[in-house]
Amino acid sequence: MLDVALASLIEDMIEKAGADGVVEFWQRVGDKLAGRMGKEAYLGWTSFNVAVREGRTAFSIEGEVAPLTDMAITDIDSDVVGYLYAMRQCCYEPTILRTRYSVGQMSPADRTVCEEYNENVHNIAVCNFCVFHERFREEIARNITVSGNSLACHLLATRGWAGETKISAQNLAKININEEHVRALLRNYECVYALVMRGARLKGDG
Amino acid sequence: MMPPDVGMPDANPFVEIATHLFLEDLAAKVGVGGLNNYLVSLARNLASAMPEEEYATWAEFLEALRSGRSILSTFEEVRPVTDRCMVTPRSPFERGWREYAKRVGSFAPVHMESAEHYNAKVRPAAVTSLHIVMHTFREAASARVRVGGKTIRYEPLATVWVDGEKRSPPEDRLAPLLKRAGISRTKLGMLLRNHAEVWLLEPF
Repeated sequence: MLDVALASLIEDMIEKAGADGVVEFWQRVGDKLAGRMGKEAYLGWTSFNVAVREGRTAFSIEGEVAPLTDMAITDIDSDVVGYLYAMRQCCYEPTILRTRYSVGQMSPADRTVCEEYNENVHNIAVCNFCVFHERFREEIARNITVSGNSLACHLLATRGWAGETKISAQNLAKININEEHVRALLRNYECVYALVMRGARLKGDG
Repeated sequence: MMPPDVGMPDANPFVEIATHLFLEDLAAKVGVGGLNNYLVSLARNLASAMPEEEYATWAEFLEALRSGRSILSTFEEVRPVTDRCMVTPRSPFERGWREYAKRVGSFAPVHMESAEHYNAKVRPAAVTSLHIVMHTFREAASARVRVGGKTIRYEPLATVWVDGEKRSPPEDRLAPLLKRAGISRTKLGMLLRNHAEVWLLEPF
């Protein structure tokens, strides 16, 4: 029930600190949670991807994550420096359903925070939870090393409860993946992100 | 005719963990007393956002509780032990707490501190901050239910947290509550072996 009640807390915080204040607050919570989850190290991508499949990584706290091992990201030497990962169901979707069944409809506060984030930070959010979520993933990626390299996380695409989709042109450009490939993934998944070794020189980099 | 039972899906525990962290961050700003006020208003707002209910008889109300159709059984499974005594087999917060303990670490002390604040100021019934939400919600939700034209009243009898820690009213207050609930002290002890909460609902 805490998840359903959260919306009223956000409404209250919007009144006190504004939608921008809530965005900052959510991001800080994302930092703090990531900070408490500790560091992880993997010998290589195979062991990391097995850990993701088995739900052993910090990313697994979000729910079931699928490593899309057919969608590798390669560097200028054609070495694999990352992969795409996807979630079939957005973490917040059960809460949206639970709100529908208990309260009746989602608080407008959800949309307010989402729009604030899309306009001023990154146009990728489909619900208020995306705000927390994106920062959380970016921070835990820093704490994970694969073959000794820490990771960077780029949120690429999201699909909301009502079917609206968001694709991040700025993040797609960082990893050289075609928008249509990601759009096709949104048929089966609700959240798609890339994990890439920090400092990797990707094809097309100057 | 009733619509088919679609059932309430479980929350993703990650959302609950994030909410716990949200509350911890809030407590760092407003203190334990401030967090308490937030939790109470959070639960009251949730109850007031949910539709009111009316039942012709107590038996009809108990059936709604049992089958998860009442506001009071929206977020937890409720089993009536007597006409007035209800039990919750599993705390609705258990999954979130377990996931927090597994993935993040030990529960932040502020959750217990705010429970102690609630126990001292309101009623001795909380082990963690989550129980403040639960007790306040049940109290506010009960006020939205009418059975045979009368509103109903909620009183907690005992709460047990996942780690086995228990809370119940002091002996002088507990005895009359047990009598109203229609259970003995021994029966309460038996129920606490495998239930998270035991509580009283009665016409007011």
